[in-house]
Amino acid sequence: MTAAIKTLDELLTSPTETNRSLSTEEYFLNMGPQHPIAHGSLKLVLLMDGETVRKVIPVPGFVHRGIEKMCEHLGYRQIIHLTDRMDYLSALMNNWAVSKTVEKAAGIETNGRIETIRTIMAELQRLQSHVLWWGVLGMDLGAFTAFMYAFRDREIIGEIFEETIGARLTMNYIQPGGLMYDILPDFVSKVKKLIAYLKPIIEEYDTLLSGNVITQERLRNIGILKAEKAIGLGCTGPVLRGSGIPYDLRKLEPYGAYDKVDFDVVIGTKGDCWDRYYVRIEEMRQSLKIIEQLIDNIPEGPHSVAKINYKIVLPEGTYYGQIETARGVLGVFIVSDGKNETPYRMHFRSPSFNNLWTVTQIVPGWRIADLIAIQSSLDLVIPDIDR
Amino acid sequence: MVTVAQRAAGVLESNIWLSLWFMLIALVAIGALVAFLGMGLIYAERKIAARFQCRLGPMRVGPHGILQTVADTIKLLLKEDIIPAQSDKIMHLVAPFLALSATVLILAVVPYSPILQVANPNIGILYVTAISGLSVMGILLGGWSSNNKWSLIGGMRSAAQVISYEISATLAVLVVVMFSGTLSLAGIVQSQQAGWWLWRMHGVGIISFLIFIIASTAEINRTPFDIAEGESELTGGFHTEYSGLRFAFFFLAEFINMFVASAIAVTIFLGGWMPFYIGGFEHFNRVMTIIPPSMWFAGKTAFLIFIFMWFRWTFPRLRVDQLMRLEWKILMPIGFINLIAAAVIVIQKFYFFPE
Amino acid sequence: MASNNIKAVKKEERIIGGRKVSVAVVMPRDTPAPIPSALAGLVKGMLLTLGYFVRPWKIVTRQYPENRKTLKFPQRYRSMLHLIFEEDGYHRCMACRICEKACPNRSIKILSQKNQISGKIELDRYIWRMDTCVFCNACVQSCPFDALEMGHEFENAVYDRRLLIFTLNRYAGPSVLRKVESMEARSKMMEPRDRYGGPVPLNGTSMPIVQPLMVKPAQKPGDIG
Repeated sequence: MTAAIKTLDELLTSPTETNRSLSTEEYFLNMGPQHPIAHGSLKLVLLMDGETVRKVIPVPGFVHRGIEKMCEHLGYRQIIHLTDRMDYLSALMNNWAVSKTVEKAAGIETNGRIETIRTIMAELQRLQSHVLWWGVLGMDLGAFTAFMYAFRDREIIGEIFEETIGARLTMNYIQPGGLMYDILPDFVSKVKKLIAYLKPIIEEYDTLLSGNVITQERLRNIGILKAEKAIGLGCTGPVLRGSGIPYDLRKLEPYGAYDKVDFDVVIGTKGDCWDRYYVRIEEMRQSLKIIEQLIDNIPEGPHSVAKINYKIVLPEGTYYGQIETARGVLGVFIVSDGKNETPYRMHFRSPSFNNLWTVTQIVPGWRIADLIAIQSSLDLVIPDIDR
Repeated sequence: MVTVAQRAAGVLESNIWLSLWFMLIALVAIGALVAFLGMGLIYAERKIAARFQCRLGPMRVGPHGILQTVADTIKLLLKEDIIPAQSDKIMHLVAPFLALSATVLILAVVPYSPILQVANPNIGILYVTAISGLSVMGILLGGWSSNNKWSLIGGMRSAAQVISYEISATLAVLVVVMFSGTLSLAGIVQSQQAGWWLWRMHGVGIISFLIFIIASTAEINRTPFDIAEGESELTGGFHTEYSGLRFAFFFLAEFINMFVASAIAVTIFLGGWMPFYIGGFEHFNRVMTIIPPSMWFAGKTAFLIFIFMWFRWTFPRLRVDQLMRLEWKILMPIGFINLIAAAVIVIQKFYFFPE
Repeated sequence: MASNNIKAVKKEERIIGGRKVSVAVVMPRDTPAPIPSALAGLVKGMLLTLGYFVRPWKIVTRQYPENRKTLKFPQRYRSMLHLIFEEDGYHRCMACRICEKACPNRSIKILSQKNQISGKIELDRYIWRMDTCVFCNACVQSCPFDALEMGHEFENAVYDRRLLIFTLNRYAGPSVLRKVESMEARSKMMEPRDRYGGPVPLNGTSMPIVQPLMVKPAQKPGDIG
């Protein structure tokens, strides 16, 4: 798919194909950065005809904080705290992505305990992220109760994080060379209680939203993303898997302890909003399955194999590592000049950035209410797009 | 029973001042009812919503948050009244009053109890249906005059929605009119002396009741039919650009509308102020009369208001074309078939305790 | 799991990249749900919310200012930074500046002085900026003497921004890890330090327009001020 870069002016004044018999006037509607469903500060310029959307032009960049530039004068252990703030709903997975890349580049070998705990934490974070996504989807569709239930359940996972890590959102826990803290003795029992609590709760979620005919009609056959288009746009994560392509980095390039556990890759068939929705609900169940298999078998060992004040200088060259976050594939690209302890250039391939541009392809032709359903089902986190 | 309007009309020739005095009492009573109902209903909505969502609701202002609505009212009264710069100023000023006046006019004809009713026109239920079409004017004017594309979309959607669902509501009401033989609201309540129409009309009654409840939820713009003000889509829809007292009118109009829809449903289906009588069981009926009729009315209306709130906090929102499809393709055909079946049942006297 | 009696997910095995991967396929919904199961789904949703309505013990809200006495924080919770003081009131900081280098955004500034008597470097002021700190725990982790910890105070809102820049040490002098001959010699080397004094650092430079907030100097050593 070739992309000729157009300026915003050109996009706004270019003519659209019209083959309507009734002459109506199209108008621009600005779903601006401050909007209840913007999920962050994302501006969408919509070209509308009545209630149908003819063109969507996203204008990201309102949350740009220069993370990649800031990384250029921070050491690798200091970069980890910035990655928390990119896609804050999968903070631990972002930490893991950078740690993995740095460890591979520097040749640091971690042990089984570190990898197992990292996997458990990542799956807990994935659960937390999907629960919040579910609640926000309910709120966008109009069921405000779903939002409250989601936050109530998210708190419980947050409390486990708070006890082990010390923070609920900005974790800074998975560092190159291991973990910041070892897990507490009651971590295993707490996680087991959580699993026992969450299993019937996901059934409740099914009752409240998935089994409701109104939700099904709002999500069914809306915003169909065909498989070829999804691959062409570079989507990953549940967006790609909802279109039927079983691309899951946890199975294809296993890292951590994923090769030791048995779980299903959840895919859809048609690529509509219902597929993307139910893929994530089923992924929640698969995450619970993974945690169940790992929680009793955490091997013994130190929680960090690198010394605390370890200054990491990567050899000269370029390194790339990727990980499957709750939204898709997060890739970390490091260019090191071999002399400093700071990278020469660091780039993050964020999953929400590629998923965002699907709205330009799948929304035109649908109504405003469908635009909202589609945007919710894509699960975008705007700070991840803007970094 | 004598309503206030009849009293006022009776002495109009002889004593104009007494007549005006009666009208003033009615005005003040309805005004007080609107004010206190508004405060009570908004507080109840917030607390009930909180209970559905595993949280507490307002707890700070006053013990258990009882004075929360008072604080909100004071805040809204003290706010600056904003009129958008390039809007149509006259329409912007008039819209909230239209929305509220439609609601208040219906409150005047509802029979609250055998002795409490402000006016009882012969065409009671027809009057109610006609006035409820006036509320769409308020929403449409509010949406258009705000000079805001989002509000315009909200206003247009709501206009289409309200006028469509009036048909279903009227079809359900016509069933009751056929059974009770009179259009006046007091007459309909009196005709339920042998039992409420909901169970007396057996199958037809339940279907009419359900159709009326669904149509009423759409008439008053509540979830799952609140596309006009859909908070997630349009932030505020037709009332985005309002602030201060005029926003309070829209807000109040929504809750009083809910009360009015419940009151009308209670009057025509659930017997109004009539206790739970079963024709012919004298002892049972005497026991049922222990609770005064106004308490019966209040209890039934509160129950229906709870049902409306239950709908709101459970279901997501319908899309506008699904909403239209529900009305025109599903509810209206069922309503017509219901009407024909009801006509057959009335003629054959196939219901409980026929007259 | 099945909703509306339609099997939602089907499990199968696929070959991807030469490997057998177990896949769960979400079944497509091509037609709207039939009316009886649609109504049943709606009613089940309503019963779920009613279930929470009639169980007030499921309420999870905690009323904040009233429950302050029983608030418990996890031990590792990261809030205000402290120097760890031993029982006799001495800290362990040797002014090695490792935490200053580890801090990602220079929220720590260490002013050190040379001890008159022993000639060794010791801590003068340990300035920590709470307004720029991101609570990443890098300083605590990197201190080789375990001199720092992050405590649990979370009600830190102030009306004046200068009150967010703290001097963490109560005295300027040798840490408890430095050997001094006697208690009198040690207390002669200590000077009290107030909490809000000192130059206001901004990434290593002083901000001339913001005057440091000078509080009355402490009367006794060990007094916070």
